[in-house]
Amino acid sequence: MHLPLSALSVLLALPAAVRAVFQDEVGHIDYHYELLGVPQRETTFFHRPRRQDKASLLYTLSDLGVLGAVNPSTSSVVWRQLLQGNITNGAGYLRAGEDATWVASAMGSSTQAWDAPTGRNLWSLDFDGRAKDLEIMELTESDHKDVLALYQEEGATVARRIHGTQGHVIWEFRAVNDDIPLQVSTNVEKVFVVSLHGSLLSYSLKVTVLDTLTGKRLDEINIGTKGEVQKPEDVMFVGANSAAPIVAWTDNAMTKLKVNVLGHKNKQEFPLVADTRSIEIHAPHHIQSQPHFLVQSRTKTANRADVFHVDLKTNAVTKAYDFPLLDGESAFSTSTAGTNVYFTRVTPDEVIVASSLSHGILGRWPLKGNDVNSGALHAVSEVIKKSENNYAVRSAVVTDTDDWVMIRNGEVAWTRPEGLTGAVAATWAEIPESEDLAKTLEAEAHSNPLEAYIHRVKRHVDDLQHLPSWLESIPVRLLSSILGSEGSAKDSTTLTKDSFGLNKLVVLVTKRGKMYGLDAGHQGRIVWSKSASETPSTLPWDVKSIHADDVKGLITVRGADGEYIIVKSDTGKTVDTMGPGLWPPVQSVAVVDSAAGPWLLPVGIDGKIAEVPLAYAPKQTVVVRAGNALKGITFQPQGEQAVEVPAWVFSPSGKQKIVHIATRSAHDPIASVGRVLGDRSVLYKYLNPNTLVVAAIDEGSSTMTHYLLDTVSGEVLTSSAHRGVDPNKDISCAISENWFACSFFGQYTVRDSDTQSVKGYQLSITDLYESDISNDRGPLGEALGDDANFSPVDPIEEPTGPVIPAAVSKTFMLSGPIKSLAVTQTRQGITSRQLLAFASDAHSITGIPRMVIDPRRVVGRDPTPAELEEGLSKYTALVDLDPRFMITHERDVIGVKEIIAAPANLESTSLIFAYGLDIFGTQMTPSLPFDILGKGFNKVTLIGTVLALTAGVMALGPMVRKKQINMRWYSS
Amino acid sequence: MRVSFSAAAALLSALQPLLASALATTAVTLAIPAQPHLPNPHALPPSTHATLSTLYATYSAPLSAANTFVFRNVTPGSYLADVHCATHAFAPLRVDVVASSAPEKLGMLSVQAWETYRGNDWDNKGEEAKEMALGGTAGSSVATATAALPVRCLAPKQYFMERSSFSVMSILKNPMILLAMVSMGIFFLMPKMVENMDPEMRAEFEEQQKNNPMASLMGGGGQQAANPMGNFDMAAFLAGSSNKKDEGGSAAAAPAGKGKK
Repeated sequence: MHLPLSALSVLLALPAAVRAVFQDEVGHIDYHYELLGVPQRETTFFHRPRRQDKASLLYTLSDLGVLGAVNPSTSSVVWRQLLQGNITNGAGYLRAGEDATWVASAMGSSTQAWDAPTGRNLWSLDFDGRAKDLEIMELTESDHKDVLALYQEEGATVARRIHGTQGHVIWEFRAVNDDIPLQVSTNVEKVFVVSLHGSLLSYSLKVTVLDTLTGKRLDEINIGTKGEVQKPEDVMFVGANSAAPIVAWTDNAMTKLKVNVLGHKNKQEFPLVADTRSIEIHAPHHIQSQPHFLVQSRTKTANRADVFHVDLKTNAVTKAYDFPLLDGESAFSTSTAGTNVYFTRVTPDEVIVASSLSHGILGRWPLKGNDVNSGALHAVSEVIKKSENNYAVRSAVVTDTDDWVMIRNGEVAWTRPEGLTGAVAATWAEIPESEDLAKTLEAEAHSNPLEAYIHRVKRHVDDLQHLPSWLESIPVRLLSSILGSEGSAKDSTTLTKDSFGLNKLVVLVTKRGKMYGLDAGHQGRIVWSKSASETPSTLPWDVKSIHADDVKGLITVRGADGEYIIVKSDTGKTVDTMGPGLWPPVQSVAVVDSAAGPWLLPVGIDGKIAEVPLAYAPKQTVVVRAGNALKGITFQPQGEQAVEVPAWVFSPSGKQKIVHIATRSAHDPIASVGRVLGDRSVLYKYLNPNTLVVAAIDEGSSTMTHYLLDTVSGEVLTSSAHRGVDPNKDISCAISENWFACSFFGQYTVRDSDTQSVKGYQLSITDLYESDISNDRGPLGEALGDDANFSPVDPIEEPTGPVIPAAVSKTFMLSGPIKSLAVTQTRQGITSRQLLAFASDAHSITGIPRMVIDPRRVVGRDPTPAELEEGLSKYTALVDLDPRFMITHERDVIGVKEIIAAPANLESTSLIFAYGLDIFGTQMTPSLPFDILGKGFNKVTLIGTVLALTAGVMALGPMVRKKQINMRWYSS
Repeated sequence: MRVSFSAAAALLSALQPLLASALATTAVTLAIPAQPHLPNPHALPPSTHATLSTLYATYSAPLSAANTFVFRNVTPGSYLADVHCATHAFAPLRVDVVASSAPEKLGMLSVQAWETYRGNDWDNKGEEAKEMALGGTAGSSVATATAALPVRCLAPKQYFMERSSFSVMSILKNPMILLAMVSMGIFFLMPKMVENMDPEMRAEFEEQQKNNPMASLMGGGGQQAANPMGNFDMAAFLAGSSNKKDEGGSAAAAPAGKGKK
């Protein structure tokens, strides 16, 4: 029993039918956007990771909590780390010391340092409370730089100085009070902790001055704000690691800017331009840089900036010069070289570089290309002085389309579509037929036959004009098909359907309120992108449903506040939109059939459905979730309206909480109603389309139960309980055909022996059959014999009990956690299925063949020849997530939220798309590509072989003829 | 009295780990040493990370510059330790964090680890992973830990299938091709050999050939046309002489018949 099976021997025992990805298919059948998330203003910078090396990398901590380094010349990701293990919503701190080989990050409760060139961790520290700020101490008593971390605990503000390379705390300063810590800052001599003191709506600024060596409090300065600072966000800017760090805020009407140099009591006021809506302050982060800073004020339509200097002796702040008021958005950024400070302004038309000393413009580059015409939100720049009057600048600009654009001397060098991250919903959509043709065909259908005929002949004659160009294209196409360069020959800028059905659209909605249309047939190329900004009420956008209507070519997206937007799937043009709040809040949306055709039925909070007009009354039972229960609702006519009538209510027993509900995908064709066993008898599958799986967990006893519900009658068809399931780890289920699977983390003693226990990630899978005997249809068989109309709500005559399927179940141990389960889909369901899941720790998407996790695998003995013929192997508890199962192969895919599958026209092929943080898509062939010639089919070899054979025949023919003639003549 | 004392002692000793578990945490350090399958652990990708998981708890640690994983604030328990790496597969470990039994370390936690086998009994432990001293890597990330549990690398990961490539040798190795080559050789060489024979030998050989089944192959048909395929004249067919089709068997049989005379 206790055979220490090494993982390799198990791998060898797996069926040979596992199809991994071929190396030459990479980039042809699959595509991957390796993304970071939209860079945040304060946590993005250029930094030289190696002291001796001039090349710098672009570091960012994005709004999703991904820390990454990007090569500024190629836009490729050098390394990235998902700091909290899953997607977070904004915040986080990232700093780098000048010439330091590491960067420091703080997020949540942890402060970490990372090796800047490689992305390896240097140290990680976890403290109580939440990180509020992070700063680098550039000059310390020893030769390394240290990290200052500011934490907010329950009723305390804690500042710590952490050894930069070794990661131990040098000193800790703790102030027990209810202040809101804002930031920590340092000049050469002192450390300043800036916090808000007082109560809500009337805070004053408190600056605590600490000794750099010991962390002892030296002084405390209170700066009155006269109620101008009402919340932490009102303080515009604190710090800059310069020789004279400042704190700045405005009055409530945004007419005056107030600046205080940290460590001093006096504050100075400066007027702001009229109608200022927001201000932003940019200052260098290096200690040897000149203490200059820039204040950008934005009005509704324009923006300007003023440059201020701080006098180090008198601590007086004086205005030096300004950048004129310009229409549109522009992004300012600071860059330093030695003591020099440069300000870069990226406007919609040009890039301007000026020194902080005077208003003279050092360089001006007009913007080429239209890519950045969308407004620049913020930017980071690197200015290089080539010669006395010759400068070069490169700026990484975040635009309001959520793109990250690199502008090198006015030219767009690259664009990273970071807006694709944070996707909350996606759907497949067919490429709509050309509208003209559809209209013509419709017109023909409605006119009288003769007219239609003449029209059609005319149309075909008109089509003849395309004939010459088509004929011309034949040799090129032939040649390219022989040489296997089809992909490159295709025009990839137009959306066209292909006969294999591989060209499909994916429409993606992100939580930032952006929508994208991707072309799955062309490496996920972005066809269109748009902001649905008029629709989402709150950010992040809580999208409840996305639905594609392939007949009309429309995509409907519904949000939680009742808002919706309808766009065209091929262009993204808005067809209809409704703002939030006009309709009642939506919990979910169901596609229902009604007398008036299928439509999207919005379900209100707690499963309430308003009355619907009679013509729109759903014909099916609608299953809604009401708190911790499921309700089945039917509709009955009442006058002009149809009102909801509850048909059944399912609530899990005891203290169980519903954690996951898996429903069948709309497209789930079944090719065979039975499973042919080795002895040619048939085990009939229990095929009930009206079923769903509910996973519920009792957190007290950590027992998970999954129920298979009949959605028409609400009856529990089968249920099974698993003990020792961790409710804090991912629990995910999927249902397809006649089986369902659930993954979870389990730790329990095995039931048949008290001494054995297991611990690990597991996958339980259940097959449903009409009867556990072959060639038997159970109670259904009798019902079907008498009359073929069987209904779950109107049980069979003379019931021997409800029709309960025979369930066969097995649980397998996995070598890692999986989540977001999905099942491959093919056109007719003939192809065997694979269970798709995101292996969150392996950063991959795995496709587990159904055969490997077959619940009918035999336990404790070798399979008989009949069972072998059925394809059953001996049960082994371990299902290793083999690297060859990984459809993402070597790609590092992180943060997948959901995997969606769609059938292609080819029966063998299923299209897969995964979204969340990264975007990944591929084409899968679970039963090998049996209906298409793949890359393994070498046309050159085939033609070569045929030619060689022909040549052989040509050569041999005369010889044979000669020999035969000779034989006849000479032998006689 | 004695009984109650021992009971109290037992109660105390039972409480001790509970108390410890309520308060104490420790750091667990895993390390990847250089080993046969992995000569240079510094080449591992930065996405490599390790997890400690048990019921209700998961700890995750990224790979450090010193090829270690440092888990901080680990509470007592029995953990499954996994190393997740894109390029190499690692053996899972069972890591037990328990209150130390040694009297001098009372109240402290001790860490023990063994190899474990997935899909097997949790108590089915493999070889104990002995703590190894971390080499004096200056400025190492591990501020407190001086020793780490080594993780064994099983193998590099293979993601791709090899596609069978086209090569002339693979065609030549095909048995059908080999057969064809041999018969071709006979086809070409035999007449030459026959020509070089002295007349007696030749006569003898021809006599033999009449009874030889190979004659049908070489001469285009044999006298025993038992099955239709036997009648099929491969060489003639390849020669593409269309009239052969009509004559079929008779023509094929004719030369052989003539050969008899």
